[in-house]
Amino acid sequence: MKPELWVHRARNYAAGLLWSRKAQKYKMVVLGRNLSDGLLAKMVIYALLSIVAYLYLQPLLYMISTMLKTVSDLLDPSVKWIPRVVSWENLTKAYKGLQYPEALRNTTLIALSCSLVQVLVCSMTGYALARLAVPFKGLITALVLLTFLIPPQVIIIPLYVIFSKMGLLNTLFVFLVPAIFGQGLKGALFILIFRQFFKAQPPSLEEAAKLDGASAVRLYFRIMLPLAQSACLVVFLFSFIWYWNMYYEPSMFLAKGFTPLSIRLDRLEDVLNPSLLGSKSLVANPVTEGTKMAAAFLIILPPLVIFMFLQRWFITGIERTGIVE
Amino acid sequence: MRSMPDHRHKAVHYHFKRYGVGLLFMLPWIIGFCVFVAIPIGWSMFMSLHKVAVVPGGFKYTWLGLQNYRDAFLKDNVFPIELITYFQEMILMVPVIVIFALLISLLLNQRFPGRFIYRALFFLPVIFATGQVLSELFTQGAGDVPFLEQYNLEPIVRQYVGGELAKTVMEVLGRVVLILWYSGVQILIFIAGFQTISPSVYEAVRIDGASPWESFWKITLPASVPFISLNVLYTIIDLFTFPLNPVLKHIKDNMFKVDTGYGYASALAWIYFGFIFVLLALVLGLFSRSMRLKGGKS
Repeated sequence: MKPELWVHRARNYAAGLLWSRKAQKYKMVVLGRNLSDGLLAKMVIYALLSIVAYLYLQPLLYMISTMLKTVSDLLDPSVKWIPRVVSWENLTKAYKGLQYPEALRNTTLIALSCSLVQVLVCSMTGYALARLAVPFKGLITALVLLTFLIPPQVIIIPLYVIFSKMGLLNTLFVFLVPAIFGQGLKGALFILIFRQFFKAQPPSLEEAAKLDGASAVRLYFRIMLPLAQSACLVVFLFSFIWYWNMYYEPSMFLAKGFTPLSIRLDRLEDVLNPSLLGSKSLVANPVTEGTKMAAAFLIILPPLVIFMFLQRWFITGIERTGIVE
Repeated sequence: MRSMPDHRHKAVHYHFKRYGVGLLFMLPWIIGFCVFVAIPIGWSMFMSLHKVAVVPGGFKYTWLGLQNYRDAFLKDNVFPIELITYFQEMILMVPVIVIFALLISLLLNQRFPGRFIYRALFFLPVIFATGQVLSELFTQGAGDVPFLEQYNLEPIVRQYVGGELAKTVMEVLGRVVLILWYSGVQILIFIAGFQTISPSVYEAVRIDGASPWESFWKITLPASVPFISLNVLYTIIDLFTFPLNPVLKHIKDNMFKVDTGYGYASALAWIYFGFIFVLLALVLGLFSRSMRLKGGKS
């Protein structure tokens, strides 16, 4: 037989195999119709995400691992991730050094009250900017944006003087009062979120309520605010977390007495070694390293637990709110 | 004659009815803006033009004009260098953060089981990536990428970038993971942004024979330009208050020095704000121009 014929036959056979339905189906399973449907693509996605997630969370793992090490483990370079002996000493030391129960109460008080107030005030302002007649609306919206852009460092000194004249320093009210007047932490961002949300709602609801004779205030509290549930939740959680973590403002306004967790973490070094007072080095001190990591862990633990319970609502809430339109 | 006051009364009534409720809703914000933003801004500008000394019972102002601003560049031998270094770092960090967020959100946007867990993981740093916890981690040197030392990248970077800039690049690379922690919100914005692209568009180009690669460049990327610009702006604003920002530290140090004081510190803060404002305006102008060009074509 001629070799050309063999080649021809083999080619025919291969073509038939390729075009058979079964092969098509396998190809669909492995490669998929879209980039994301196939098995192969999925495996690549999983692998990529897992590697990046590991790198991403490494500092957190480092924090937990350092926290559980003893000093000798910390100094020993052969001990990398898993400590030889798990010691809880660092945690108890940090607990005492931070005066955890009291500081936790202070931080919770600030974060909870301010973020609740912020939800109410920012939603009202956002609603007014989206739907109600306000004179110079364009100018006011621009000013809201401006308050978002101004770094706090620019106005911190005059604010300090104003707060001290009002007698608010070192109390809860130093954060609560600005929040009541719509100038809380990143309040401008929340106002814009609410404005965006209310703008996206159909106006027919309000028209119907108005025809039924509801006043604007009643309309807002009975209909619009309950409608904005998902936006409220997102704003509340973000506000809570940002108040929980803020450092710069409390370092100016809450220097003594009523101090939150973040300030106490900053002072922990001095509390642990009174002899080194004032000599703030940027080099890590191996003796206190573990305790500091334990303290940092204690600070992020409560929001972490809250997030675990609420994360699904949180993330889908952001998608549904249409913040980005 | 009588109808005039009546008419005016009616007009007032009308305006009240028209604006009353809106003003009522805006009132807290307006008061707050005046007391906690407008007055401090004016005051801080006033201070920056004076030498401010603290005396018992208040401040003593001595008029200096623009002397403070001139000193910041001519006399101060730390501030201009720090400002330039920080802006170099920022120009590096912003694209790194935004591109990382774009890639991760593209991956997270695919449909696969368990993506909720991954979304939660990548959002996690938003919860604690602020303030003191982060700067503690920085101090201890956590958050460098292991391959940086393993493959000894430093000479390579030095060879390709050269000189002073190489130091900045290495500094950014040295804590790249913690910098990437600043991309949690940006990832969410991108994911939410992708939902606004209608799936039927993808179907249409697929029927026309476009590969996924092409449909990314022709559809996903152009449609997410507004979200990219939003994220760039957000990132720049977010980095204002980056905990290890040397400029802010310098401002704070000067605040409590006797010979410089509040006036000089205010001037520094205003210069810093001015630079960032120019940067923001540049970014905004660039993106709005590119968007307008695109709009003009279609």
